[in-house]
Amino acid sequence: MKIARYQLKAGHELRSYEFISEGPKGLILKRIQFTLVNRQGIYNLAFGDKDFTTGELDDKAVSNNGDSEKVLATVIGAVFAFFDQHQDAWIFATGSTAARTRLYQMGIAKYYNEISTELEIYGQIEEDWHPFEKNREYLAFLAKLKTS
Amino acid sequence: MKTIEELNKSKVPIVIFDKSLDKLNDVVLFPEKVKKAKETIAKIGLPKKSTAVNK
Repeated sequence: MKIARYQLKAGHELRSYEFISEGPKGLILKRIQFTLVNRQGIYNLAFGDKDFTTGELDDKAVSNNGDSEKVLATVIGAVFAFFDQHQDAWIFATGSTAARTRLYQMGIAKYYNEISTELEIYGQIEEDWHPFEKNREYLAFLAKLKTS
Repeated sequence: MKTIEELNKSKVPIVIFDKSLDKLNDVVLFPEKVKKAKETIAKIGLPKKSTAVNK
């Protein structure tokens, strides 16, 4: 990845990650989690900010820390780290709101040429999955490693 | 061992291991998202045909 990304910390199973966003709003701890959804090896990808006051995680937070590209590149890095250890897994992702899902859509589109060499990516339209295309809107996304 | 150039080109980032994060594996941090994922997969499953090609 050419874009700078934050240093990731992870557990040994590479399912739970954290990193610290740095920007005008200060230091924000972000957590990424891949949660097993079912026995087919599908994992949900989610990430959010840790609220230091309540200790809770907020996946609807808009940090406005001026580093959204770097955050996105870091999350994509976590996806590749996860696949390095879970090569047969599928990753499901969707936004916490429609606007957030559109942000993911734009983020995937931005890096698509780079990541599609190694990943199959699908988008959900109504009740079906379609190979990802840059200019379409989707409800959710699925990704898996291309097999050799 | 990979060279610095290979590491820099790699899509897999260098990750610092932190044992404390393993404790989170069994804690669902984002339950609404997981619920939505389960519902979607139960309803529409996986893509019918993979477009996988050789790396």
